[in-house]
Amino acid sequence: MEVLQLLISGISQGCVYGLIAMGFVLIYKATEMVNFAQGDMMMLGAYLAYTWINIAGMPFVLGVVATIVSLAIVGVLIERILLRPMIGEPPFAVLMITIGLGFMLRAFAGAVWGTETKAVSNPFSGNVIRLGDISIGYENMAIILGTVILCALLFAFFRFTRLGIAMQAASQNQLAAYYVGIPVKRIYSLVWAMSAALAAVAGVLVAPISLVEPVMGFIGVKAFAAAIVGGFGSLPGAIIGGLIVGIAEQFAGLYLPPGFADTTAYAILLIMLFLRPEGLFATMQKKKV
Amino acid sequence: MRFVLKTRYQQDINLFLHNGQRFWYALLALSVLAAPWFLDRFFLGELSLVFIYAIAGIGLMLLVGYTGLVSLGHAAFLAIGAYTHTWCLQRGVPLPLSILFAGLLSAVAGIMIGRPTLRMTGIYLAIATLAFAIVVEQLIAHWESVTGGYRGIVVPKPELFGYSLSGSWPFYYLCLACVTGCLFLALNLLRSPTGRALAAIRDSEISAQSMGINLANAKSTAFAISAAFTGVAGALFAHKLGYLSPDAFTLLTSIQLLLMVVVGGLGSLHGVFFGAIFIVLLPQLLAISRDLLPAAVAQLPGLEPGVFGLILVLVLIYEPLGMYGRWLKIRQYFSEFPLYRKSTHKRQKSYLRTERVR
Amino acid sequence: MSEALLSTHSLSLSFGGVRAVDDVSFEVMPGEVFSIIGPNGAGKTSLFNLISRLYDADSGDIVFDGQKISDIPAHRIAELGIARTFQNTELFEHETVLRNMLIGRHVHSRTNLFSELLFLPSVARQELAFRQVVEDVIDLLDLQSYRDQVIGSLPYGVRKMVEVARALCIQPKLLLLDEPSSGLNPEETEDVSHWIEDVSQDYGATVIMVEHDMSLVARASSRVMAVADGAVVAIGAPQDIQNHPEVRRAYLGD
Repeated sequence: MEVLQLLISGISQGCVYGLIAMGFVLIYKATEMVNFAQGDMMMLGAYLAYTWINIAGMPFVLGVVATIVSLAIVGVLIERILLRPMIGEPPFAVLMITIGLGFMLRAFAGAVWGTETKAVSNPFSGNVIRLGDISIGYENMAIILGTVILCALLFAFFRFTRLGIAMQAASQNQLAAYYVGIPVKRIYSLVWAMSAALAAVAGVLVAPISLVEPVMGFIGVKAFAAAIVGGFGSLPGAIIGGLIVGIAEQFAGLYLPPGFADTTAYAILLIMLFLRPEGLFATMQKKKV
Repeated sequence: MRFVLKTRYQQDINLFLHNGQRFWYALLALSVLAAPWFLDRFFLGELSLVFIYAIAGIGLMLLVGYTGLVSLGHAAFLAIGAYTHTWCLQRGVPLPLSILFAGLLSAVAGIMIGRPTLRMTGIYLAIATLAFAIVVEQLIAHWESVTGGYRGIVVPKPELFGYSLSGSWPFYYLCLACVTGCLFLALNLLRSPTGRALAAIRDSEISAQSMGINLANAKSTAFAISAAFTGVAGALFAHKLGYLSPDAFTLLTSIQLLLMVVVGGLGSLHGVFFGAIFIVLLPQLLAISRDLLPAAVAQLPGLEPGVFGLILVLVLIYEPLGMYGRWLKIRQYFSEFPLYRKSTHKRQKSYLRTERVR
Repeated sequence: MSEALLSTHSLSLSFGGVRAVDDVSFEVMPGEVFSIIGPNGAGKTSLFNLISRLYDADSGDIVFDGQKISDIPAHRIAELGIARTFQNTELFEHETVLRNMLIGRHVHSRTNLFSELLFLPSVARQELAFRQVVEDVIDLLDLQSYRDQVIGSLPYGVRKMVEVARALCIQPKLLLLDEPSSGLNPEETEDVSHWIEDVSQDYGATVIMVEHDMSLVARASSRVMAVADGAVVAIGAPQDIQNHPEVRRAYLGD
């Protein structure tokens, strides 16, 4: 039973990694940029939720919508101000920009909301479902359900809408997409808005089970492990990678000496990179000459 | 503009291009040597720190600026150097040998992380090095018998042939000697076939391969040398800290090192020194500005990393060649005055060139 | 007739369902200037990438100078004496012309890392010797005025020349030129045929080139191979190939 219990908390933690990893993948697929600040975007999402719900006093659902919208706007602004000038620059420079952005976001959050931890009011905390010997918290259920719904929405978007298909085209060949009339720049803004929205949802979902503080975005690094396991170019891969990392972490906590559970994600990351850097769902190949 | 007419091949491989350069560098060397006579303890200490950062910066520059491989985990090599050095000193190994060991062990660690990551480029490598640094940090925290864990360990005072080097003067000269040595090695490397091979890899892996460069070997070499320099810097850094604990070698340290080479100017050894000065001065400037700013702003938590981030972003967007690039432009402005045109250095717009092929 | 310098035997390569190179066999004799022509997408560049080992063949062999090369790593090709250029130039953008060309000497480097770190006299001597070879090539291709300029600042025509120069610095037995005249004006294209002649005579290098400009092909090459859809259509003297009915059909359609 303990195993099952661990499995469930692993899955819910894995979903969080998966949500952040999907943010990475979304931006990477469309722009070949890696947003190192995705975890910090999630942190900002949690703080925005705190602002709308606890300070402004909005009802939960409205507050969540407000969080998603406001963070999406922040995402667009970041793209316009910081990343638009970097189109065509080496990937390394863009990566450094997002690292810098992460530092700025953390400093910003610390300045605005202070460094003491916050809690976001929500309808989940404290409620528990019991199935035999296992108990599942509502907040964990919310994470799992929220992730499933988001995945379905994203799948439908990329599969069936014109915009989603245009985004895929832009990601495969910027110049060609531009020539066939796809507004590449606007699509970039949209991608950032979408990944910010994803981060907002992740922030809202993770707030009940974690402390809201400026450094909570560091789990973004663990989400890299998820994205790498999934192959970095694949949205379902990101979720599956997240689940693998989340579950492995729970079991490492059980079987390994204390202190090592935290290293599990990085160990998986390194092992994955050494053995199969293209991930489980490869999309990358060599450059053409 | 000074035009050098080369008449012999030898001129190409000399370290200095012409006598003017020789003069200025000699002047610089003299003033650095004489620094202890006109700088007080504090500034001498800061200058030693500049040299230590510069050593690590040379290492990182060889990797990032010359080979085009990004490492987000150089704090790990700094840590390996620092702990190796401390461990050796504790067991009575003489200082020069101990510094050498620190460099060598870091180089071995560099190969260990470099070798398997060879097939990766760009972000994959960055993430791998990042994970490596975190794992090393965790190892240090948990391997208490050697590292003392979070309790930390005291670094023995530096000594050479029975003379203590822990005073600010001797330590300054120790750092100066190390940085000069490392600079000399790096300059030599860059004018040799291996140095050119590294630059070739940075600019085009495919054609480097077709030119007969063994990518795996060359990249391992780059990693090893880079890690070795950083390890040496770590050894000196240990003395500067006096007390080692894992908190000194975090992700922030890695980013700081990277910030140094980016702000200084990628692809130039001059840039390393500009960057090192910048990175040492920044906290001081912040400390001063804290007194001037209103209390509410000055007491902001996380101000320093935030300013780091801001500067990083601004440099990358507005001056991707860093301080050295700006310096070259200013020099050109004066030498071409009044003919200098701003558009000389305008960046060309370009489109994203995908590295993915279906 | 002497032994072939390079020969391929039933070479095949496919990407997904597309057969980029389909059962290609040909031989190139020492001293020849051998051209490969064909419509876009016929598999010419793929063939080059196979010979320079950037691609692995699905089946078939490549033999160079009596040695099977279809299973050695790409970085060893240069030391065997095969140099190449790229269709859209793959130079080392941030380096000077001189340093680009010196990289061509890399395979002839005999110094180790430690002597290089200390720049021992042996390294200095080798550097001087390298420069001598490089200067000869600079003279041959008239690149004197660009010697210390950074590639990024050079016009396209010059870059193409630098790439050829870099390849020549290897002192190759076989030079692979991928569309040497693409992107050049007619005057520059005229020059191409002259230096190809120089290269093959002064350096004794065998040349294989992929080329679209038929007048250049006719002027410079001794034999021509036409390919279409990955397969060989015909091999023969330039004028024969130009009048070959199959070749015309491949270019013009039915």
